[in-house]
Amino acid sequence: MAEAGQKRGVPAWAWMLVAGLALFEVAAQPLIVATVPSEDDWEAASAFVRTRYRPTDRIVAAPRWIDPIVRHHLGDLLSLRMAAPVDAAGIERVWELSIRGAVSRAEPPDINAIFDGVRVRMWRLSPPAVVYDFVENVAKAEVELLRAEGFGRCPFRKVAPHRGGLGRGPMPPDARFVCDGKRPWLWVGPTVLADLDLEPRRCVWQHPAGPEPFLVTFADVPLGDRLVVHGGIDYTAERQRRYSPVTVRVFIDDELAGELVHHDGDGWKSTAIDTSTLGGGPAVVRFETTTDDPKARLFCWAASTQSGSHDD
Amino acid sequence: MTDRARNHAVGAALGLGYLLLLLFTAPDLAMSRDESFYAHAAERYTAWVGRAFDDPAAAFDKRAIDGAWGYNWEHPPLMKLAFGASWRLHESLGVFSRESLAFRFPGMLTAGLLLWLIYVWGAAVMPRRGALFAALAFATMPRVFYHSHLACFDVPIAFFVLLTAYAYWRSLDDRRWAPLAGLAFGLALATKHNSWLLPGIFAIHFLWVRRDEARTGVSNRASAAWLPWMLTAGPILLFVSWPWLWHDTWRRLYQYAAFHFRHVHYTYEYLGVSYFEPPLPVSVPFVMTLFTVSLTVIALAVFGLYSRRAELALPWRTQPGDRTGKRTDVLWLGCMAAPLVAIALPTSPIFGGTKHWITAYPFVALFAGWGLVEVLGDVGVRRHWSRYALAGLFVLPGAMQVAHSHPFGLSHYTPAAGGVPGAADLGMNRQFWGFTTGSLAEWIAKRLPNGGSVWPCDTTHGAWVMMQRDGVMPSNIRAATSMADADLILVHHEPHFREVDYQAWVSVGTVRPVFVLRYDGVPIISVYERD
Repeated sequence: MAEAGQKRGVPAWAWMLVAGLALFEVAAQPLIVATVPSEDDWEAASAFVRTRYRPTDRIVAAPRWIDPIVRHHLGDLLSLRMAAPVDAAGIERVWELSIRGAVSRAEPPDINAIFDGVRVRMWRLSPPAVVYDFVENVAKAEVELLRAEGFGRCPFRKVAPHRGGLGRGPMPPDARFVCDGKRPWLWVGPTVLADLDLEPRRCVWQHPAGPEPFLVTFADVPLGDRLVVHGGIDYTAERQRRYSPVTVRVFIDDELAGELVHHDGDGWKSTAIDTSTLGGGPAVVRFETTTDDPKARLFCWAASTQSGSHDD
Repeated sequence: MTDRARNHAVGAALGLGYLLLLLFTAPDLAMSRDESFYAHAAERYTAWVGRAFDDPAAAFDKRAIDGAWGYNWEHPPLMKLAFGASWRLHESLGVFSRESLAFRFPGMLTAGLLLWLIYVWGAAVMPRRGALFAALAFATMPRVFYHSHLACFDVPIAFFVLLTAYAYWRSLDDRRWAPLAGLAFGLALATKHNSWLLPGIFAIHFLWVRRDEARTGVSNRASAAWLPWMLTAGPILLFVSWPWLWHDTWRRLYQYAAFHFRHVHYTYEYLGVSYFEPPLPVSVPFVMTLFTVSLTVIALAVFGLYSRRAELALPWRTQPGDRTGKRTDVLWLGCMAAPLVAIALPTSPIFGGTKHWITAYPFVALFAGWGLVEVLGDVGVRRHWSRYALAGLFVLPGAMQVAHSHPFGLSHYTPAAGGVPGAADLGMNRQFWGFTTGSLAEWIAKRLPNGGSVWPCDTTHGAWVMMQRDGVMPSNIRAATSMADADLILVHHEPHFREVDYQAWVSVGTVRPVFVLRYDGVPIISVYERD
């Protein structure tokens, strides 16, 4: 064997390849920075949307990672329901602000405008109408927990705020139904869930107590063509894929109308109950959550009665 | 001046220059999570050392030892003692412009020493231009540059690994280096657990060399003196430097090892997936290296490795009469590959950050040095200036990337990933450790002119307080422990932190952040404000 290093090691063109790579890197770095949309681009695109915005519009970002920038410019227009939608009901138009050629929808838009680095597109939809949103009306509901002496009502009151932080689950609202001081997770109220895909979902927190039902009852609910129920579990808990399934049973005027069984891994799951034969209400609608083992069942549901056509 | 002295002089100049650059740029970086823990440990450990001199009987009591050393027992003490000593020196003499710099100085010093040693070792085996390039290639790796600022163990362990490997290599033909190999290994053991890989690498290399020697018939065999020194001096130094081990020694050694073998899994975003449990894809350390080290350096390292393939020939192919030397390239390859492979193993805990295999990078740089030597050797134009120009061109991408990466070193990606926005498109980890809050300090101070409170998200309380000790954050702006108590809420952007984003929406009642800190247009921190 010859002594190492005696033999010419690399092909003669190697220096050209390396020089080419170096030139590429030297040129690419400023080019990448130059393609970043300026604040003026964002302002112009936002102003365009702002003057045309309606409360039933949704605003999305493409790619997903620019969402904080879009919310910085237009977030004041968005309700929690529009920022964390549970389905397409009630969303009449979608605005998309995008960069780098990213798209959130494939179909041709009704509006397409470009502001240098930021593109604005808008689509008109034909969504079902929301007749009654249970999430928005949860403060008017009646909440009951089964105790040793039977069902007891949970008071709606202002309680100590939650600290927040990684792994702490959805943030409870200041005012909520509080059911058990020893089990502080047994509260009911509107919040925003990070579902299995880390998407925001405006929903009602109703952590099941166990096999015994935990009840939330709404009176005088107008019924449309259907009652749509969604449910999901907090990302950090559901991603483990090892805890008990959660069941939500929906009763209309004390009759079991449908149920949604959520297993870990299902993500944001939905079911629709046909109410077209029930005469439109008003009715009493009750949601009951149960599970065999309540450990890590950070469950949140959303529901609405809807009428009209489906889109998406 | 002898060649050796000249090599040391150049290496020292490189190291000193880097140290000065780090000192100059460090104020842009707030302390990271881990630094804040180590700084606290440093204060406790050195307070105990002071007590050990004042009242040894009390200090050596088990309860006193555990009281001081029971904090952050997950890592050995050497660098924490150095951080603490530097800080106490600063407390006495006011050496540094800010306290964080005092804690960080020993880590920066090891970064400078790394450059010195890369150059010296490189110059011992290759033409000096290769060694110089190797040192500069290492210095201009953006992630290396970031970590070189910190009061952490990653760059120090890279130095001690390199030092141990160098001393071992020298000891093969000069037994006087064997005690130094043992000492260096002890320092490595007392710095971080990456050092556990070294005996295995050295054993393979040594057997390789011995097998060569047996087949070639060389009578003057490589010395094995390093082995007893490493096996004795290393553990002794670890034990002596670490009072936490002085009681319940075996149980605590087991506890220390078990902590790292069963390490908690970090949630880490890689190619659009947030991994939270093993296995992390095998490709992670390789793709992350491709995306965070200059392509030019990687290409040169590949060419360097290729050009040294004869040195890497398997020992059973050695023929009588061959001159095989100390198989330096085999040793370098082992030191380069082992940390990458260790992280790539499907059973390894999820770490993700490049710092976990940073000990490989000095050897990547050394192979890049060989690559430069070989590639410039083939340049058709023989004029010196053209070679200098090419060498300068090869250093330029890394230098530009380092300049651009600061102070967002952990968010930086090279053009191979499409830069920072390209990496965001690909779904690569955006940041960790919460240190980017430092880039908001001025904004926060202006937003809360009369003081207030900030929920600091991933920034630890210790890191926040250090910003105040440094005078970066006004003392009347406190870190809130609850979002509900905060005037401002910070959200560090990583996918699994979206949960925190949504908590902030509910807490302040709006989805609109009042400010979004961006790096090349990519969100780093959102700030929400309570009305």
